[in-house]
Amino acid sequence: MSSRHSRLLAGLFAIAAASASAGAALAQEVVLGASVQLTGPVANTGRYYRDAYQLAIDKINAAGGVKIAGQSHKLALKLYDNQSDVNLSVRQYTQLVSQDKVNLLLGPFASNFALADSAVSEKYKVPMVQGGGASDQIFARKFKYIFGTLAPASNYFGSTVGMLKSLKPAPQSVALLYADDAFDVSVAEGTRPMLKQAGLNVVMDERYSTNATDFNSLLSQIKSKNADVVLVAGHETEILNFVRQAKSLAVAPKLYSFTVGVPSEDFRKALGKDAEYAFGMTAWLPTTALKDRWFGDAEKFAKEYKAKFGYDPDYHAASGAADVETLVQAMEDAGSADPQKVRDALAKVKFESLYGPIAFNAQGQIELPQMVIQVQGGAVAEIYGAKGFVKQPKYPMPAWDAR
Amino acid sequence: MKAWQIGMVLAALLLLAGVPWYGSDVLVQFGINALLLAVLAQGWNIIGGYTGYASFGNSVFYGLGAYGVAIAMVQWQLPFGVGMVFGVVLAVVFAVLLGIPVLRLKGHYFAIATLALSQVMTAIVSNVGLAGQNIGLVLPPLNNDPLFYELSLGLLTVATLTIWGLTRSRFGFGLIAIRENEEGAAVMGVNTTLYKVLAFALSGVFSALAGGIHAYWITFLDPDSAFDISLNVKMIIMAVFGGPGTVLGPIVGALSLSAISEFLSSEVTSIAGLFFGLVIVAAVVLMPRGLADMIRRLRKTGWRYFSENIRAHRL
Amino acid sequence: MDLLAQILVNGTLQGGLYAVMALGLALVWGVLNIVNLAHGAFIMLGGYASWYLYTYAHIDPFLGLPLTAAVMFGLGYGLQRGLLNLVIRAPMFNTLLITFGLEVVLTYLAQLVFSADFRTINPPYAGNSLAWGPVVLPLARLAAFGVAIVLTVGMWLFLLHTRLGRAIRATAQNLVAARLYGVEPRHLYAMTFGLGIALAGAAGTLYGTVSQINPYIGASLTAKSFAISIIGGLENPLGVIVGGLFLGIVESLTTLYIGQTFADVASFGILVLVLIVRPSGLLGKTT
Repeated sequence: MSSRHSRLLAGLFAIAAASASAGAALAQEVVLGASVQLTGPVANTGRYYRDAYQLAIDKINAAGGVKIAGQSHKLALKLYDNQSDVNLSVRQYTQLVSQDKVNLLLGPFASNFALADSAVSEKYKVPMVQGGGASDQIFARKFKYIFGTLAPASNYFGSTVGMLKSLKPAPQSVALLYADDAFDVSVAEGTRPMLKQAGLNVVMDERYSTNATDFNSLLSQIKSKNADVVLVAGHETEILNFVRQAKSLAVAPKLYSFTVGVPSEDFRKALGKDAEYAFGMTAWLPTTALKDRWFGDAEKFAKEYKAKFGYDPDYHAASGAADVETLVQAMEDAGSADPQKVRDALAKVKFESLYGPIAFNAQGQIELPQMVIQVQGGAVAEIYGAKGFVKQPKYPMPAWDAR
Repeated sequence: MKAWQIGMVLAALLLLAGVPWYGSDVLVQFGINALLLAVLAQGWNIIGGYTGYASFGNSVFYGLGAYGVAIAMVQWQLPFGVGMVFGVVLAVVFAVLLGIPVLRLKGHYFAIATLALSQVMTAIVSNVGLAGQNIGLVLPPLNNDPLFYELSLGLLTVATLTIWGLTRSRFGFGLIAIRENEEGAAVMGVNTTLYKVLAFALSGVFSALAGGIHAYWITFLDPDSAFDISLNVKMIIMAVFGGPGTVLGPIVGALSLSAISEFLSSEVTSIAGLFFGLVIVAAVVLMPRGLADMIRRLRKTGWRYFSENIRAHRL
Repeated sequence: MDLLAQILVNGTLQGGLYAVMALGLALVWGVLNIVNLAHGAFIMLGGYASWYLYTYAHIDPFLGLPLTAAVMFGLGYGLQRGLLNLVIRAPMFNTLLITFGLEVVLTYLAQLVFSADFRTINPPYAGNSLAWGPVVLPLARLAAFGVAIVLTVGMWLFLLHTRLGRAIRATAQNLVAARLYGVEPRHLYAMTFGLGIALAGAAGTLYGTVSQINPYIGASLTAKSFAISIIGGLENPLGVIVGGLFLGIVESLTTLYIGQTFADVASFGILVLVLIVRPSGLLGKTT
């Protein structure tokens, strides 16, 4: 009932604000609209975006809001739950721009949603900055109103393959598994040539259905083909099953790495000790090196986020917060909240954020390198980045009964 | 039908056709969606409502129609109309090839077989390169909602007129005879297999056309959304909620349930689904014969209508 | 060769789990003629019940299984007595719709109460395995397989040799016959549904120890359960074991020889074929 309560309060505030504005000419609010997955199968990741958007907007408002042409404007968020339904999310974005008349758009989670929803922003010519879809397909359509802050899917394993080349003993064979959705297929397509170039022998290259739960057959094949390295591009639930079943079948390659899961607290909790040694990647870690105008730095952002929502943010959350900051920066650069002007400012935007340096290429996508991370002692450790090893990896992974 | 009734229907139609001129963008969008759902409910009405076969495979027709348009437009660069025809052809082929064996099954077995068929189709299409595998296809966007709206309304009108014609034809009586007593119908000289397959195909044609329009409108298609089983359940609920085996029932059911669902998902947003589930449960218990029956009988019996329903159907 | 042996073992163990998933669905369908579209949601709830027992009361999932089953039995009994009995004589669509509505409600309640986080029941031995020559036998799967066999055979004996069981079997034939056993039909229906849900709860426990639970696993589990009960036939619990093993092995072999993305094509394709060729299941009498 607390949400009802708060809605009532919000209503009262709105009335109060409206009556106040009658006297003092209060600057108009800038409304950002989004439709994210609060229920349904991907609600687990969708919540990062709701929470990150809200936190960033509150923070910016607390600092006085966005300054457009010398005048301060508060930000407001209009958020819908798309119930993990692509069709519903398309309708909700249409409602946001055509009925709710929001000024600018923030994105949903997941590539297939961003792919469909970007058509709405294109149709109504309202820019959308999204931090939830990384598939290269989203940006291959030459749309002008979609901007993405997730690093390109095709390069997710780039740093990992770089690391493989300098490991001792050098791994010889690789198994590549990927889910059959837009994002993971992009990952696989980007990874294949890199593996070839690194001179690794790809012994398995298998597609599996999204939401598969039984990995026993695939794992048995990995074992029988003696793959040194296993790279999996998939979703958290699948990777969770994969690791558990790997243990129960005593399948322990020298190294395995996953596109998602490892940076997420929920994932590490669900696996407990079995999460150990798993490699992953992230374009973001909460370090003090990432300076931010609103939060100070990424570490402070992570602390505030955790204090407010009770769980650790991962790169999804950081990317979501950066989306809000990007829109704010673009409005200030443009000196306007007009969609067209903001769009042009977005194309040229360049600033430092808690998420990293924000700038978009010609297709509208950010270019960020992925850092290789590994679960060590229950926490995420940064292993390998653009400048080589940061920390020694635990490699090769010991057999399951030798832990 | 009396003259004033025809007048009423025409007036309602004009009112609906005018929405793009006086309604908001969101209303038009909602309209496209609700009208297409109504077409699906009408399509299901032919095989489920009139013939009595609880098809869970109508979403396959919808998906085939959608893929027909998407493949034609994206892979072969053909115009939308050709895609619609292609989709319809796919649906009819499917209805005939699989309808003949599957329509021999009765009751729950038919329901499960068609349910499984839609799973098979999802899984097959996920592996077909031409259909974009599991990633799906992205169609060229066409920014013309009024056109989509009028297309949907036109399709619904054609579907409804077809059903209206059906109810006064030999074919329609044959279908009802099959629903009431299939052996009896056969004895009376109804070619049951032919009738059932025709009904299945006809219901497929309308579902496929709806799918085609939807695909072009939403500009994105993947196997999960094309062969979505919950869409199939939705069309059944809408038809049953409104009154299966009636000409206008499914339309009333589809429009009213769409409105309820749209209202819920914009008002109580994250518990909309929960409410929708409760509405279904309550509707089945309290008004198992649909909205049309309730409106007709509520005047006579008053609130006792609900308790009588329960008394009639409980153990 | 070792690989093939391992794949067959994987399929067999998976099949045992499948069998227990479908057992309750087949019972409810065969006896009450209710096609329970919420079956998978009940499996999901059973998984959560055991997860809570394990996480907060530290009760081992296999020991806690009877407790979970008992709780789920109560839920099932209550739902049939208070709700489903009200629509038993309504047209067929109605029971389909009401169980679909229940599925939606249970899924959303689960999301509200348990959150969308995924849970795993992960006792320390869950990942252990036995070596049998070159073949690895995962302990938790083996145990789940054993429980599945015990439950199925137990169900079969119960239906054959107890008064309630015979009354239930008689109900499957016709309602009047059941009265001859002196059991009140409303109670009998509720008992049967309760048993079906208790079995779903047990399946959820086993599922949670080898896989993961979240509020949305229900629908696909329901679909799988349908395939298994159709392939095995509704007449006899032992048929469900055959259906489960068959499906488990077919899926494993499909993954090995054709590709994982074709596993669903195989399982549901077989379901359609079985329905067309032998509508009463692989073991059922041909009509």
